[in-house]
Amino acid sequence: MLSHFKVASKSQVASKAQVTFNGQVTAVTKITAGARIKSNEGFTLLEVIVALTITGFILGGLFSLVAGSKRLAWTSEASLVRAARLRAATNFALLENEFSDVELILENYDYEARAGEMLEEPLRKTEASVFNLQSYEISNDDRDERVTGSRWIQMELPK
Amino acid sequence: MSWPLSKVHLRSSSHKGFTLIEVMLSLALTSLILGLLSTGVYIVTEDWNRNSDVLDESLDEALVILQIDRALHGAFPHSFTNEENLTRQIYFIGEDNSLSWVSTVSPQRNAGLTAWELYSSELGVQLSLVPAYSDDPTQRHSQSEPRLILEGYDIEFAYLFEDLDERKVWRDEWVGEEMLGLPLAVYVNLIPFDEYEDRKQPIEIVARIKNNQHRSIRPNFLFGTQ
Repeated sequence: MLSHFKVASKSQVASKAQVTFNGQVTAVTKITAGARIKSNEGFTLLEVIVALTITGFILGGLFSLVAGSKRLAWTSEASLVRAARLRAATNFALLENEFSDVELILENYDYEARAGEMLEEPLRKTEASVFNLQSYEISNDDRDERVTGSRWIQMELPK
Repeated sequence: MSWPLSKVHLRSSSHKGFTLIEVMLSLALTSLILGLLSTGVYIVTEDWNRNSDVLDESLDEALVILQIDRALHGAFPHSFTNEENLTRQIYFIGEDNSLSWVSTVSPQRNAGLTAWELYSSELGVQLSLVPAYSDDPTQRHSQSEPRLILEGYDIEFAYLFEDLDERKVWRDEWVGEEMLGLPLAVYVNLIPFDEYEDRKQPIEIVARIKNNQHRSIRPNFLFGTQ
């Protein structure tokens, strides 16, 4: 960006030199006064607009960079919190399986655990057991996120 | 024909160079523009650095929380001999704002068991790690240098207990020496300090302890006799 600025100032100096050169030439050759007056007027509207547009683009680029990095930082923080909540909800759901009446303790219930169906029995079992595999789902309806898994649950009677 | 002459006169006077006012004005404008641009760049770089610091911090926090989670899942009913009364004791000291336990997880990948201690301080959550030998690790914890692992957070614990009616309730205290075993699960609540409230959110950890019974020391309520 600095180099851009330098280039701009160089071109300004170059145009100034041309003006003085033209001036000297006109002083000698006596070209009509109208032409000289025109060259003394300053920047044209087009030049100003172009310069303003370029400055605007540069500033816009800089500030979008800031906004981008800020957004990245916030989303990383938010995803950390979400991952931690999901982990806590999953661990609590696993806790509930064997100990079906656990006192609730989590303060945040963004993620809701739901018990699903029992998984299909194996064709052959050697011994009756009180434990059974059950599917469960942890979901956050607001964000449309779903995690499924299976857990052991304890039955009243061996099956 | 008088106006072209006056113009020529003006023109020739402008050949001497820029006037002081012109030079001053152009210098002022240049410095204004340069100043604006450099402050813009400064603000952008500052903000960028701050945001990347926040990123680094949240990455560190994520790793720390995962490690605590893993270490609690890997809790182990470590026992030692109390030299005063020569009894075997289980090492697990859980208060509502501090917890000392022995875990099979060790962050330095040292062989053997590691005694962890987590507690809240004025700056945040402190962690102390010492190897768990066959003696009481409390002494070594007090000698070791704790590390600030979660800045700006307060820590609270709860311990899952199964009573005689098979109800599972959370207690805010668990002393392994009295309970003769480990809790069924540990709940950790990390609460940001008031000054960080707008930036940080509370984080909860639930860790189930599978290995909650010692191989020879058994709780009273399971067998009726000690």
